[in-house]
Amino acid sequence: MNNQINDKREQAEQTNTDTSIRVQVSLLDSLMTLAGELVLSRNQLLQTIGSEDYHNVDAVGQRIDMITSELQEAIMLTRMQPIGNVFSKFPSVVRDLAKKLGKNVELEIIGKDVELDKTIIEAISDPLTHLIRNSVDHGIEMPSDRQEIGKPESGRVVLRAFHEAGQVVIEISDDGKGLDGDSLAAAAIGKGLLSVEQVQVMSEKEKVNLIFLPGFSTAQEVSDVSGRGVGMDVVKTNLDTLGGSIDIVSEINCRTTISIKLPLTLAIIPCQIIMTGDERYAIPQVNLEELLRIPAHQVKERIECVGNAEVVRLRGNLLPLIRLADVICIERTYFDPVDCEKKVDRRERISDRRGRVSQVSGSDDQGLQQAKTTGAKQSQPRLIDDRRHSPRSALNIVVVSTGSMRYGLIVDQLLDSEEIVIKPLGIHLQGCKGYAGATTMGDGRIALILDVSNLARMAELMPLDDTHRAAEVAATTEETLRMNNERQSLLVFRSSEEEQFGVNLDLVDRIEKINQSKIEELGGKRVMQYRGGSLPLICVDDVATVQSLADREDLLVIVFNYGSKTVGLLAIGPIDALEVNVDIDNVTLKQNGIQGSAIINGYTTMLVDVPELIDTIYPEWVDDSLEFLSEEQGTSFTPSSDAH
Amino acid sequence: MFEKRTGKIGGDMDKTKTETQTKTEIKTEAEMNVVELATFYVGDALCGMNILQIQEINKLMMMTKVPQAPDFVLGILNLRGQIVTVIDLGKKLGMGETDMSLELRNVIVNSTGSSVGLLVKKIGDVVAVNLTNKEQPPANMSGIQGKFFTGVYKKENGLIGILDINKVLSMEE
Repeated sequence: MNNQINDKREQAEQTNTDTSIRVQVSLLDSLMTLAGELVLSRNQLLQTIGSEDYHNVDAVGQRIDMITSELQEAIMLTRMQPIGNVFSKFPSVVRDLAKKLGKNVELEIIGKDVELDKTIIEAISDPLTHLIRNSVDHGIEMPSDRQEIGKPESGRVVLRAFHEAGQVVIEISDDGKGLDGDSLAAAAIGKGLLSVEQVQVMSEKEKVNLIFLPGFSTAQEVSDVSGRGVGMDVVKTNLDTLGGSIDIVSEINCRTTISIKLPLTLAIIPCQIIMTGDERYAIPQVNLEELLRIPAHQVKERIECVGNAEVVRLRGNLLPLIRLADVICIERTYFDPVDCEKKVDRRERISDRRGRVSQVSGSDDQGLQQAKTTGAKQSQPRLIDDRRHSPRSALNIVVVSTGSMRYGLIVDQLLDSEEIVIKPLGIHLQGCKGYAGATTMGDGRIALILDVSNLARMAELMPLDDTHRAAEVAATTEETLRMNNERQSLLVFRSSEEEQFGVNLDLVDRIEKINQSKIEELGGKRVMQYRGGSLPLICVDDVATVQSLADREDLLVIVFNYGSKTVGLLAIGPIDALEVNVDIDNVTLKQNGIQGSAIINGYTTMLVDVPELIDTIYPEWVDDSLEFLSEEQGTSFTPSSDAH
Repeated sequence: MFEKRTGKIGGDMDKTKTETQTKTEIKTEAEMNVVELATFYVGDALCGMNILQIQEINKLMMMTKVPQAPDFVLGILNLRGQIVTVIDLGKKLGMGETDMSLELRNVIVNSTGSSVGLLVKKIGDVVAVNLTNKEQPPANMSGIQGKFFTGVYKKENGLIGILDINKVLSMEE
């Protein structure tokens, strides 16, 4: 056995000759002290247990807890390396490249002493090299160009690392020509990555960030330095896997600053623990966006089916849903908070309600039969408020995002958030793409760590567009379009019982309730006495072919100011003033006096064209109408306060 | 990897032994080639492995199922902080599922850098054999294909097949 261990060590030494690490002696000393403390605490614990002195267990436990966290911290420190190890190679990289391109470039390095986990230091080297080369190659102009625009002849690239909010930030800034958002956008359109409409609504910052789209390059020709259009995309992907983020701020002809944010360490990551089936799974916090619980009574409204896919409405957006149980091919279950146990989920769609009686076991046929018999036994009348209010019908959704997409994962139960240590799975499980590894939980059992991007791939969930960026862009486009699609204030009323009409609320002066007897018919025209004068009354069916005015005692008169004249439109209730943004269909129901139709609150509503209505009945008023129209366009009419 | 390691151990032992031999000349050549085999039953077949390849033998512990894993993988378990993949050896060798019983044992081996637990029907004795007595494996031994064995030893109570653990655990079929 000893032989074997020695052998192992030998082997490890052989393979890992280049991966030795420098550790401060003071740190080693503190580790030693802590190890000693740990041994003492263990002795204490054993003694306590041996003597069955359980009062002391708490104190010992606390002590071990403290030592363990200190030990963890100290050991993590041994992995920390100064970022200067990576930075040190850049002066020569910049010098060589500048010489080759015939540019004058100075590189300033700040914050060499900032420490990062060994694995991150190793992984960050290539992306940083790429970014530095980019700065020198694309950012800094030729010396002659720089002189022309009054910049010092030699360009400056600053590489800076510092701590910020528990993360390490690395900034690469140059005082070169900057990134032109518009030309980036044009290139994106040219390559078919984005549509013109999408670009129109993008901010300058969004345009600059287009550089991260896969397959994107503005370089005219491919050189050995850059221009293949893979670089920045790869940089972003690399940083994503490290749990970092990247951002660009640029000012044309002034500077470009690329900032990278990185976590301090990778070995221990915070995770959200969830439960599905009987097993616990961990989802890294990096991927987690939010936790969503849809109460039972909202499930039907918020979960929708698009084809075979289920989506949830989340703040106006549709989020695709995946059931964890389906993706990893285990039986669908749900957690019953009433009975506090796991039960088999037999619903076909999420929006189906769960039965009061759940069949925990048995095949489907048996289950159905059981359902029938138990259903017969318990044939008591169902209470009305019983429907879909049981907490067992609620849904727990983990909203996760990966580089390219965002989706909701339906799980049985949401548990705590914990810091876990990632351990790799053996070779026999390499084929299971859904897991990023495993970890041991407090109770000694194992929880699998989910790889959310592979889960999405397994569920054949496709991002709507090429990238998340594009999807984001599409979302903003949609929003802007909605904003542009101005909200209209409409007064909705009826003339006959069946047909609903709407007019622009801005045109309405006031609304009066009258009795039918007050209407006088003189000279073929209807009028009524109103504020010491006579108010001409019109009806939608005077002009448009719609159902005639309902024969009712109590009527409404909607008073419009039409130039210098006032006109009343006869109507019946219910009336309502609404703020809506609607798509007006000005084809289907268009006719004289009706400018179009729209669906409002589930009713097809005809939008009355009041000026046209009046012009048809009182053609002699046309001159006034011009004035009316100009006034309408100039200042908007405010409905009087007693409009209701 | 294993092969290499055992080879090396053998080599080392040879060396030390030849040194002692030259000095004391006590050990015979036959004794030198003696290795100890841990034996266990896979189905009805008695199989053996060099005892130095085995890290430990456990009773069955609580496992975590891994959905979508290959069918011969029973799950993973936490062995003092180490993640161990548990494999039903019977199923892997095409003998069908190993039935649950109290005699089940989990043989933990280190292979290709990770720990693997081999679930066997029951374990047998530790047997000392002489390497020179090894014979070529038959094409089929109690239903297990010959390719999984490096050799066979004849014992009073039957044959012991020496499992080629790397072949058994390799993912290629």
